[in-house]
This record gives sequence, structure tokens and C-alpha cells, in this order.
Amino acid sequence: MASDEFRDAARAQGDALGFHARAIYVPHPIQDRTDEEMKALARDALPGILDMLRRNPTRDNE
Amino acid sequence: MSETVLLDPGSERDPVQREPRGLPADLAGRTVGLLDISKPRGDVFLDEIARLLEAQGAAIARFKKPTFTRPAPTGLRQEIAEQCDVVLEGLAD
Amino acid sequence: MGAGNHYVVVTKRDCPTCQLIEPALAELADQGRLKVLNQDGAGFPALASAEVVDDHELDGSWALDVEIVPTLVCYQGEKEVGRTEGWERAAWRQLTGLDSLGDALPEFRPGCGSLTRDPAIAPRLQARHGGGGLTARRLTLAALEDAIETCYERGWSDGLPVVPPTPERVITMLSGTERDPGEILGDVPPDLVPVSIEKIAINAVMAGCRPEYLPVVIAAVEAALEEPFCMHGLLATTYFSGPMVVVSGPLARRIGMNAKGNALGQGNRANATIGRALQLVIRNVGGGRPGEVDRATLGNPGKYTFCFAEDEDPAWTSLSEDKGFSREQTTVTLFAADGVQGIVDQKAREPEPLCRSFAAGLRVVSHPKMVQAPDAFLVVSPEHARVFHEAGWSKQQVTERLHELLLIDGSELVQGAGGMAEGLPAKLGDRAFRKFRKGGLTLVRAGGGAGMFSAIIGGWGASGTIGSSPVTKEVRS
Repeated sequence: MASDEFRDAARAQGDALGFHARAIYVPHPIQDRTDEEMKALARDALPGILDMLRRNPTRDNE
Repeated sequence: MSETVLLDPGSERDPVQREPRGLPADLAGRTVGLLDISKPRGDVFLDEIARLLEAQGAAIARFKKPTFTRPAPTGLRQEIAEQCDVVLEGLAD
Repeated sequence: MGAGNHYVVVTKRDCPTCQLIEPALAELADQGRLKVLNQDGAGFPALASAEVVDDHELDGSWALDVEIVPTLVCYQGEKEVGRTEGWERAAWRQLTGLDSLGDALPEFRPGCGSLTRDPAIAPRLQARHGGGGLTARRLTLAALEDAIETCYERGWSDGLPVVPPTPERVITMLSGTERDPGEILGDVPPDLVPVSIEKIAINAVMAGCRPEYLPVVIAAVEAALEEPFCMHGLLATTYFSGPMVVVSGPLARRIGMNAKGNALGQGNRANATIGRALQLVIRNVGGGRPGEVDRATLGNPGKYTFCFAEDEDPAWTSLSEDKGFSREQTTVTLFAADGVQGIVDQKAREPEPLCRSFAAGLRVVSHPKMVQAPDAFLVVSPEHARVFHEAGWSKQQVTERLHELLLIDGSELVQGAGGMAEGLPAKLGDRAFRKFRKGGLTLVRAGGGAGMFSAIIGGWGASGTIGSSPVTKEVRS
């Protein structure tokens, strides 16, 4: 799980290591958020997280 | 001009692509590991994710990297592999 | 010896001894069993009855592994059974079996160096004949391809042109170290790729290094791969920092590094290329490229290269000594550095007011309210150092005084203080904090003789066990 500014980094590292972990991205920024904003990000991310944890391969992992 | 030969300064690596392992069809009764990478604010996000996943019937096991600047220590990775069916790592920013 | 044998002599016209022995060569040629390889063009020696080969490409001489001209090699069939170098009449007579060979010549004349040993030529021959122990993948360019443009296209450049890493140049570079090209130093992040001395040499060529810089580059790579330096995190961070290289000790002077005027600036080949070579190793071997795993928000110009030498002064311990080595040892110290922040003080003639100026400048590294997060280097210029030297203050005394002056009341550091949202949690307001962790402030002397300016070089916000600590390695030949 990462903020969406880190898609490129994840792709580059995945290419180099030969392993693309499933990933989900939440909207950037993170560090100046309030607790309530962080919890809202988590709730919004939940469907994607469940999908990521349960689905089988052939998914575009980005 | 004669031909020029250059030596490769790089890794010369062409990694074999590995696929993630198969995942469970349902999280009920499964253990989901939550690995906190120790970036500020990540704990608040993960606390909420833990609460939401427990509501789906998953057992949650929490882990934390000593610092976000280094890869997780081998011992920690082994512990996660032993205890969990799947692991979520975050929150990178 | 003599009967049934045949002979090869290697000569060059440019060698007085080779010219001197022409009559002896003619005598030997008359036996009908002589071949001559001449290294500097056709027409020498003038022999009617011998095969004279123009070996200006030096492949024949290389195959014979000749060190001196003339060299006489004696064969029985295909097998070499003896050789002699230079002109030593007794040895030539013994090998050829001709008892009166060179009667009119002196008994002894030394030869000259074979062109195959010329430092400008040897690497080319070694490369052409597959020598040098090089194992890196080879890329052959078409005749009209521009090698520098190819390096750009392949993504091997930091944005500036690189020197194309031909086998000849890499072999020449490797002559700068006694270490085996195949020796592996460790895994380079972020891709964790094992790096050999050969790969470092290739990148050093591209950076523009001379062979005598290579041991310093190797030590810098070794330091970068030490766990406490945390190169992986440093490469990946959004923060400004990159590795800064400080060289301390006699080798820095011997290879012509700049510790004096403009030490942190441009214009010195060793300073410029050693720092660049380290960055190219991270980029090319480790795969650490901006826009990929390198997530720097802004970066800093030192990420092209940031390397200088210490201007040692007997009044202060050297950086090598501060790090547990002797003054006679050459070391490299790596620091996860941002850019340079100047600090001016043209009035202080005593240590205390100068320390207060330094402390005020150091206070703002990263943020005036950020404590125990970044480390810092203070590069003290000679004119500022003089104030301490004249008062008899050691480097350690200055460092200690700076730490004292940088003990900050928590009430100034909490969130909201000074109208700034950034800061420590309010509950820490009744404590005092050192700006820098213990060992987090390093002093080093460098710079030109005029100018009451010193340089503060702030570090990565993640220091010590959380992130990076400065790492020092000895330079080995």
C-alpha cells in the first residue's frame, strides 16, 4: 500500500527484482493528514484491498 | 572509423519474472499480516484497515519494521511467513 | 646448440642496440634459419637472406611476450628452447652455436623496451588479445555509431557525457589497483546487484577518472555498501541527500585532489570524477535512477558529484584520525549530504563568538525546529580555523562547544511555536533537546586562504540507526 506518487518506484523495483507484488495506491499526500482523513483513506481503500487479497493472478499489478 | 567495443557498466541482469502465490478465495478464518513500514501517519491508516478486515472475519497479526529506510530484517520476514496467509505492507509515501 | 634450430629476433629501428647488431643479424641470416619481427615499420633491418616481418601492429611481438628489443628466441621445431634479451655476445653465440658471431661488436649492450610494453599501447594489445581478465558483456557498435550517444541511449549517463568504456580504457583503469577485477565487493542497491572491481573500473572510466583514482573510488563504493550508511534508503528517499565523499590523508595530495580554494566547487579532475564514479556505480550497477526508485523531490547538484579533500593542519586532528585511523592512512568518509549552506563571520577573533555564529547557522539545518534528525558537516575554512588554532582550541573542543550551544529548549520546538505548524508534539515542550545526535556533527578543514566563510552541509533527515551514519574506509592499493 502506497500513495499514488510511488507507482513508478514500485514498477521499477518490481522489474528489477522480477516480482511485481500486488499493490494498491491511495491519494497523495499522507504526512500532513489528520487522523480522520487517514481513516477515510483507509475506508476508501478497503474494496481494493479485499480485491487484492482475494483475487487470483492475471491481474494487472502495476 | 573502425568498430568500437564498449563494456557494459550495468547489472547485465534479466530477471526471471515470478508470479505471486495463489491467494485465498475468502479471508474468513485467515490470518492477514499488517506490516507497518514506520513512516509517519501509517499507523493510523493501518489501525483502521485492521478494524475493517477484522469485520470481514480475518485474524490480524501486526508487525513493524524498525525503520522505513532499510528492508525488513530477515527474522521479521520469516516470522510473517510463518504466521500469515497474506500480508499487507504500508504505507509508503 | 645450433644445428637444426631456427631463430626469431624482435627488433625496432629506433633502438641503438638493434642498429648496432645488424651485422650479427646478417651473419645469422646467412645460416638461412632466421626470421625478424620489426616493431616500427618496414625496411629494417636490411637483410637479404632472412624473412623480415613488419610487426608494427605488434601482434607477433605480443604473442612472443617480448619485454626488451632485441630479443633472440631459439626454437627446436615448434618449441622454444631459449631466449636472450639485449646484446650479450656470449649468450647469442651459445644459443646460435656460431662461435664467431658479432666479432666486431662490443661484448654487451643493453636493449630497449619493447613497444608492447609502452603504457599507451599495452592496454590496446591486451584488449585485442582478450587479456585483462575482463568478463563484462561486450557491445559492438556499428562503424558510424557515436559511442557517447550510445551511452546516452542505453541510459548509462547521469545527464553529462560519459567517456565510452572501451576494453582498452578499462584495462588501463584497472592498472590503478592490484586487486583482482573479479573480486566482488557486495550488493549495490536498490536492485542488490553484486559489484566487481571490473564494474567499478568501467564506471570510473565513464566518469572520467584516471587509474590512480581507482583505489579511492573502490573505497568509496565499499563505504557506500556498509550497512550503517544505508545507501538503499538514501537512494530511495524523497529528501535532497546523496553520498558526499571526503578524502583525508597522503593519497589525496598525491593524486592531486583539491582541498584548497573552491574545494567544494568545479575544476579539479580528481574531485569531480571520483564523486561522479560512485554515483554512476549506484546508477548503472544498482539501477538507482531518478524517476524510478530514486524519489527525490528536488535532489541537489551534489548528486552529480560531491567530493573533496581535507586540508589537514597539524593544529587539528585529521578526519582519518577522528575516525580511528592514523594520519598516514588515506581514508574516504561518506556522508548522506544535502547542499552547501554558507555561514559568514568576518568579525569574530575569539572562539566563542565564532562558535555562536556557527551554532546559529547549524540550528536551521532541515528546519529550525527539527532536532536529532539530520547530521551535519561543518567545513571550516582556514581563516575561521585560524581563530581556533591561535586560541589553542582543538577540533573536539569546538565540536563540544557547538553541541552545548545547540541545546534547545523544547518550548521553541513544539508545533505552533513561532507561528510554524511544523514541530515536536506539545507534550515535549518542557524538555531540552540537542540539535544533533551524539556523533552527528563532524568538522573538517578545507578551503582557500582568503574568505571568512565556512560551509554547513546538512544531512538526510534520517540519521543514525533510523537512517544513515557517516562511514569511513581506508583506501587500499
